[in-house]
Amino acid sequence: MAKENAYIDLTGRVAIVTGGGNGIGRGIALRLGNAGADIAIADIDHAAAARVAGEVAALGVRAEAIEVDVADQPSTDAMVKASLGKFGRVDILVNNAGIGGAPGWTGRGVGSTADWNAVFEVNVLGIVHATDSVSAHMMERRSGKIVNIASAAGRRGSPGFAHYSASKASAINVTQAFAYQLAPYGINVNSVCPGVLWTSLWQDISKRRLGMIGDSETTGRKYFEDRLVNVPLGREQTPEDIGNAVAFLSSDRAASITGQALNVDGGAMMN
Amino acid sequence: MLLSEKVAVVTGGATGIGRAIGLKLAEQGASILVSDINEDAAGRTADEIAALGVQAAAQVTNVVDSGATDAMAARAVELFGRIDILINNAGVAGAPGWYTRSRSTEEDWRFTYGVNVLGSVNAANSVIPHMKSARYGKILNLASIAGREGRPSLPHYSASKSAIINYTQALAGELAGDNINVNAICPGLLWTPMWEQVGGRYARNDPQYEGLAPRDVFEKMIAANIPFGREQTPEDIGDAAVFLCSDEAKNITGQALNVDGGFFMR
Repeated sequence: MAKENAYIDLTGRVAIVTGGGNGIGRGIALRLGNAGADIAIADIDHAAAARVAGEVAALGVRAEAIEVDVADQPSTDAMVKASLGKFGRVDILVNNAGIGGAPGWTGRGVGSTADWNAVFEVNVLGIVHATDSVSAHMMERRSGKIVNIASAAGRRGSPGFAHYSASKASAINVTQAFAYQLAPYGINVNSVCPGVLWTSLWQDISKRRLGMIGDSETTGRKYFEDRLVNVPLGREQTPEDIGNAVAFLSSDRAASITGQALNVDGGAMMN
Repeated sequence: MLLSEKVAVVTGGATGIGRAIGLKLAEQGASILVSDINEDAAGRTADEIAALGVQAAAQVTNVVDSGATDAMAARAVELFGRIDILINNAGVAGAPGWYTRSRSTEEDWRFTYGVNVLGSVNAANSVIPHMKSARYGKILNLASIAGREGRPSLPHYSASKSAIINYTQALAGELAGDNINVNAICPGLLWTPMWEQVGGRYARNDPQYEGLAPRDVFEKMIAANIPFGREQTPEDIGDAAVFLCSDEAKNITGQALNVDGGFFMR
């Protein structure tokens, strides 16, 4: 339940968070649950989703773990069906599921064709699939909030990580197209661009870069902290930060905001 | 409440968007100094805010005068002990009588730059020492979607708002080391007294709006440009302002957020 007089109050709303089993997705699920929303935690890793569902339920809202592969349209259709079956409605979709490349990408200095294909399937088509699965329901009710998790990398191409950057630039672009497409139905579509967070993705990135330069002395965490020199506020961002931005954009406080990409990155990119 | 114990100074806070921002910040517990060039209106808004159960006062300020913005900051500190939030909202659309002219004059350029840009710089310079010594602060600049793309109708206004977006970025970088967040909001189309005048100017100068009443110009522009098909309200802007000035947005800085129903998507 949202605290009394909470600024963001999502009591009675239902949210699906893809990739909700870990990292940023978990932070978003907990923040939306804190605001009073019931949450479907959808993840390819069902055990992880179930753990987060337990944490979210402990906040006093309803939570359900759902196994999904967002690269597969029938799977996102089933995810929405299961959410509707459990909760009867879907008010918020958070497209957070994402990957850094095809299996083994941390061992490659530049993205392979397999990496390009994999990020397109998950980071771009994953958004399209889940949005297509839920939009008919939202259009019928003439209300809905969709928030896509892009990345600061989508604002500027990142060396050695072109496939990922391009997929996130696409996520920003897809956000705009869906914002136009769904505006006549009263549905807001926005994206959030996280900066640097110590999640499994950045742990992998650090490992990969250190591997490339043959540095076995520096720890991944140290490598990550050194990157904060590019962050004006000088501190890493957290899943809670991203959850806060998503909660705002998922609420009626942001009723007149659509098609936007909001950087939550300590000022690394300024748009 | 999100802003309990916080103190905010809102320039141009007496009417329109500034008034709504003051009320929204106050609803979240902030004390407000309503700064405005119009003394009577500032007093009325301060009373309205105080009725919400927070501390509020009015301060007559012409933001083009750095002595006046210094006095504004000093007054906030004297009354409330600190300044956590500055809302740079005071703005004009041209020199007096701008809406009766079909083209921007040099006076329009100078006057608009003076109030919208230098006025924001003055107010920021006046509050920054207080924020730096507290190692905490939120500065929010009111830009405009006009600052996202120059339009032929009000080039002096668009340029001033574009400068505000750029200034937001520069100041964000400058103050990040002091834990001060600087962001901007770009409001879309709001039916304020300013827009009534803007509409009149369009009706006279732009063939596609020729002869229309200002409100009809406004509605035609919404229909043509805003995906949501509706106007924005001062409350919309106030809601975004609360978020950006709260610790929910502690890792957001240097951003310009369009609150415009999707008019611009960048």
